[in-house]
This record gives sequence, structure tokens and C-alpha cells, in this order.
Amino acid sequence: MENLTSQKITEDLLPQEFGKQGKIWVAFLLVLCAIGAYAYYRQLSEGLVVTSMRDYASWGIYISNFVFFVAISLVGSLITAVLRLTNVHWSTPLTRIAEIIAVSAITFASLIIIVDMGRPERFYNLFLHGRLQSPIIWDVIVITTYFFISILLLYFPLLPDFQILLRFKEKTGKSLNKLYSFLGSFWKNTPAQIKISDKAINILSITIIPVAFSIHTVTSWLFATTYRPGWDSTNFGAYFISGAFLVGAGGVIVAMYIFRTHYKLEKYITNEHFDKMGKILVLLALLYLYFNVNEFLVPAFKMKKSEEEHLVGLFTGEFAPVFWFAITTAMIIPILILLFKKGRKPLPAFIAGILVVVGSWFKRYLIVTPTLLHPFLPMHDVPQNYMHYFPSWEEWAIAIGSLAGALLVITFFARIFPIIPIHETIIENEQHEKA
Amino acid sequence: MNNMKKHNQLYILIALLSCLSFNARAQATKNDLVLNLSYYNNNNQSQYVMVHAKSKIDGKFQQIPGIDVRFYITSDSSSANLLGKAITNEKGEAFVLIPPSAKDEWNKSANQSFIAVAQASKLYDETKTNVDIVKAKLQIDTSADKVITAKLLALNDTVWLPVTGVDVKVAVKRLDGNLNVNETETYTTDSTGTVTAEYKRDSLPGDAKGILTLIATIEDNDVYGNLTVEKAVPWGATFQNTSVFDKRTLFARRGHSPIWLELMAYSIILAVWLVIFYLIMQFIKIKKLGRLAD
Repeated sequence: MENLTSQKITEDLLPQEFGKQGKIWVAFLLVLCAIGAYAYYRQLSEGLVVTSMRDYASWGIYISNFVFFVAISLVGSLITAVLRLTNVHWSTPLTRIAEIIAVSAITFASLIIIVDMGRPERFYNLFLHGRLQSPIIWDVIVITTYFFISILLLYFPLLPDFQILLRFKEKTGKSLNKLYSFLGSFWKNTPAQIKISDKAINILSITIIPVAFSIHTVTSWLFATTYRPGWDSTNFGAYFISGAFLVGAGGVIVAMYIFRTHYKLEKYITNEHFDKMGKILVLLALLYLYFNVNEFLVPAFKMKKSEEEHLVGLFTGEFAPVFWFAITTAMIIPILILLFKKGRKPLPAFIAGILVVVGSWFKRYLIVTPTLLHPFLPMHDVPQNYMHYFPSWEEWAIAIGSLAGALLVITFFARIFPIIPIHETIIENEQHEKA
Repeated sequence: MNNMKKHNQLYILIALLSCLSFNARAQATKNDLVLNLSYYNNNNQSQYVMVHAKSKIDGKFQQIPGIDVRFYITSDSSSANLLGKAITNEKGEAFVLIPPSAKDEWNKSANQSFIAVAQASKLYDETKTNVDIVKAKLQIDTSADKVITAKLLALNDTVWLPVTGVDVKVAVKRLDGNLNVNETETYTTDSTGTVTAEYKRDSLPGDAKGILTLIATIEDNDVYGNLTVEKAVPWGATFQNTSVFDKRTLFARRGHSPIWLELMAYSIILAVWLVIFYLIMQFIKIKKLGRLAD
């Protein structure tokens, strides 16, 4: 980062009002959310029959979407916690991006699981009558915990920025000023406050890593504790976590590019950031590819009768186009792009990030649904449409609406709060100048 | 006009000929039905005759369900000798128990004939089959040293005489079939009509009292048919059903999870949430420090 004055940094990083593009973007997301809300209204009034889920494929794109949201939320622990604890300072401008992705994703993971319920008004029973033996209860507990830790990890580093934001009342506006005052007027930047805050952030960074690992391991156990072809694997926890870090890192690269170009943050999110994140993404893609080889090659080598239909369905059958699309876009092409220095420039890295995110979404679908369509006992005496699954328009609308909702949370967060930590950037700039 | 009438007559003729030829073809395609009739005497108590119907379809023998079969005692298929009627099931099998009303006919001789007649249907012609048997009974006994003896006796006029040279299986009844009492599959009756088998399945679980059911069988014998006899013996290991109902298991109801799981789960939850509460306290502390600085 070039030498900048504190004044310049603050002016650059203050939240900005939506321009024309921003307004169109928000309107577009709101329309998608409204369509999703209408589809959910139809599902509530008509019942789950409006979906394509039937006796066999009882988990469809809602649960795929849930797994995707949980996966992408792990990025908060990767960028904020792992890199902070290993004293990696270049990641400072990316921490808040990663944390808001984590918070919005984990919020919508919770919501989409309620959407999948036939009687959502009975959701509270999970808390009142939940069985500790059930991995679903473990997931409910760990998601709630992760949500609170992520909120705290987002909030604590914001405290010094509130003090700065309150100084720019005329720029930020009256209503936002009230919000900043409510959230952080008590921050006076005293040494005692800084000490407590730093300690709290360090404790959070340590705590969030095992909780993040738990959240996705437990999500993988929702499947792996069930004896079914494709899910009966001891590899699942590590396989899910490596995939989660990959999609999370991909999501951060996409967000970095969009915030950099839209808010003109080239001085703060530099080419070097893309280069380093690109390298991390290659490492994670290779790691995930390794787990995929383990997950599919070993069962395919044995080709047990009960697994054969499922594996052949993925490799050459009904699900082959989606399977190979997911493997190619989520891993192979991003690796090929990002292995080269030119590929780690902002635009190619952004394209690789988008491929990772899109491919990973389809990968989650492949983890959830094909297994359900290949039960141990053959399907017979059921209508033809029970044997296949293709989401209804309501399912697509709700799933896309939830993705739009998560993006809307990130968009509004960036409108209200500095998407790059102002105080930390100033401090690091001063340290850089001194050095 | 005349031409039209001629045409109409021609069409009617063609239609009639088509119907006749179709009917003839339908009759010509009737398959041969094969019936096998067998006699069963289970434990010297229930006696029945069973027919097995099959036919060659697409070059393979297949079981034929839905065949209406009538069973007769003696070689005369008159209605007075009718034992009963039955329809073959999906395995092509149908059977009737020999009713008490057939007692007089049964007692006439030491030998007995049975007839099964499959009624004519659209697919099969009437088919008949018969079986002749010599009345016999199988007896089973055991000794204290776990030796099983089975004895075959056949009726000769009015006297039961031992039968030599008949294959007998000696086994233990299990859920999915009979298990031989040792490595020998079958025994052949000696001059006293007896076979002797040593019981060598000591570890076999029985019921709650360790009771096992021994069974001696003669299968598909051309002269005597199918005979079985059973005896309950306390030679099995006692099976104690330990119910886990309402115990602390992974599959129990809410609040009955295993202690180790509760300890692990609650300690992890407690540890993490204590950290969260500690951090909330730190936040409150920061807030207080801010007020003090004012």
C-alpha cells in the first residue's frame, strides 16, 4: 500500500451512498427476494407439494443451498482468524468482507432450513423437544453458536471505526449517525479499551476456528451418520471443510473485485491481494480435489453393488453433466487459471472466483440429492416422478431469493459500515511509514 | 347400388373370416400345463396334498398362478371323492388338507391314490395328474447323551412294519430353514427302520428356556411322499432378551441419551458459551470505560 494520510484513508473508506448502479443492483436483488417470498407464500399455503420433493428425494435444493451457505460462512474463520493468528497483515482489508459474508451466509443457512420444513411454525419444538443424540440438534446448536461468535467478531473490530464515523456526521447522514452513536459512541480509544478489545478479538479468533470446523463437520455428519451410498464415508468431515474453505475463499475474491471496482479501492485492495488470495485458492482447490479423488476413486475401485448405481449415475449417468461441470468449474479451471501469475490479476482471479462459487453450489446439490434417488431397496410401485428430481419454480425462486437475500445483507452492510477497517488501515499505514 | 351391396357383403365375409381365424389362432396357442402332485404328512398330525403348476413360457418353465385345481382321494375323480378346490398362488402352488370326511376312504387300504385336476381355462386345457403312496409314519426319540433316533414305519395291511433303505434328514428347526444336527446331510434307515444321529450343535441358541425343535424329514419319496416329525429338546443355549427400551442409548427418546454423549456435548457447549459470555462481559466493561472517559 502506498503512503497515505489518515485523512485520505478515512475519506476513501467511509461508507458511500448508492449510485445509479448500486440502486439498480439493490432493486434487482429486492425483486428476486420478492419473487422468492411469493413462492414461499405459495409453499406455506399449498404445502410442500408445490416442490418437486417426494418420498425419495426428500432433500432437494433447499438443503443443497443450506450446505452451500454453511460452507461459504467458514471463510470468516479462514481470513479473520487463521490469518490473524498467524500474523499475516496483508489480509487486514479483507477481514470485514470475510466476516460479513460469514454472518449473512450463516443467517440464511438458518432461514433456508426453516423453509425446508413442512410446518415451520413448529420449529421451536427443535429447541423444546430436541434429542441430543440427533446430529440435527448438534447442527442447530453449533450454527447458533457460530452465528453469535461471527457477530462478535464483526462487531469488536468495528468499535474503533464508529468513533471515526461519528466525526463525519455531515458525510454519513443523520440517521446513520444515530445508529453509529447507539452502536459505538462509548468507544473513546483509551488504552484500557484497546487492550480489552484486542484481547477479545484474539479470544474470538481462537474460539471461532474449532467452532467453524464443528459447524461444517456436524453438517457433514447429517449425511455421514446415515448408512446410504454416497454418504457412508469417514472422509466426509474433512471433505466438507476443505470444500467450505475453497468456496469461502472464492466468494471473498469475487467480493474483493466488486468492492474494489465499485468503490474505487485499488489502493487498499491491491493486485498483491489478488495474487495472494489466488495462491490460497489454488492450494484449497488442490486440497479439495484430493479429497474428491479419495471420496470417489476408492468406492469406484471397489464398486460395491449397493454403491454402483449411485457412482455410475454420477460418472456417466443421469447426473454426469452436473458432476463433471461441478468438478471442472469448481476445481480444474480455477487451478489452471490461478497457477499462473497472470491468472492471479484481479479480473482473471475474479472469473476464477465466480467459477468456484457456481461450481461449488452444484457440488452441494450432487452431495445431497443423487444419494436419495439411489436407495438400497429398489424403488417400485411409485409414480414415475418420484424416481427423478428437478426443482419446481417455487424451489428455484426461494433458493435464488435466499441467495439474493444474502447478497442484500452484504450490500446494505457495505452501505452503512466501512467495508475495509478504517482504524486498522490507518494504524498499519503508520507502522508501514515508520518502518 | 348393386356394387355397394356386393362390397358390403364382401366386407362382412372378410370380418367373419378374420374373427374365425383369430379364434383358431387363440386356441392353437394354448400352452401345456405341467402338474406335480405330492403328499405331505407333518408330525403325524396334519396331512395334505399339494399341487405345483408350471408351464413353458418363452423357452423357460415358469410357475403358473391362478389355476383352479380340484383334488380327489382315490383314482376316481367323481364328486363323492372330492377333497377340495384350490387356486394356485404366485409360486404355482395349491393345496388342500385331507378332511375328516375322507376318513372312510382313507381307512380302506394301506395304499392311497390322489388325483389333482386343473380346470380348463383360456390359456390351458384340462390337465390331470395323480400320486400313489404307501401310508407311513416317522417317529423321533432322543437319549440323554444327545443322540437322536428316527424310525420309519409303513402300514402293511393292518400292521406297522419298519422300512429299510429310505433317506432321512435329521436337523434343528431355525428361522430360515433346517440346520443339520452335525456334518452328515442324510441318513439311511437300517433293517429296524431306524437312523441314529449325534447332536453336535452345542452353542446353538434356543428360546428363553433353551428349547430347540428337532425335526426328522423324508422328502419327495416315491413310495411314502413327504414325512416330517418334530420333538422339542432343552439342548439350546438360553436366550436372554435384554431389552434396551427406555435405557440410555443413541436411539432412545429425548433425555435418555448416553451419559458419555451428554458429558461431551454439554461440556463443549458450556466451554464455548462461557467464552461468549466472557466476551459479552468484556464488551460491557469497554462500555463502562467509555462512560468513565466522558
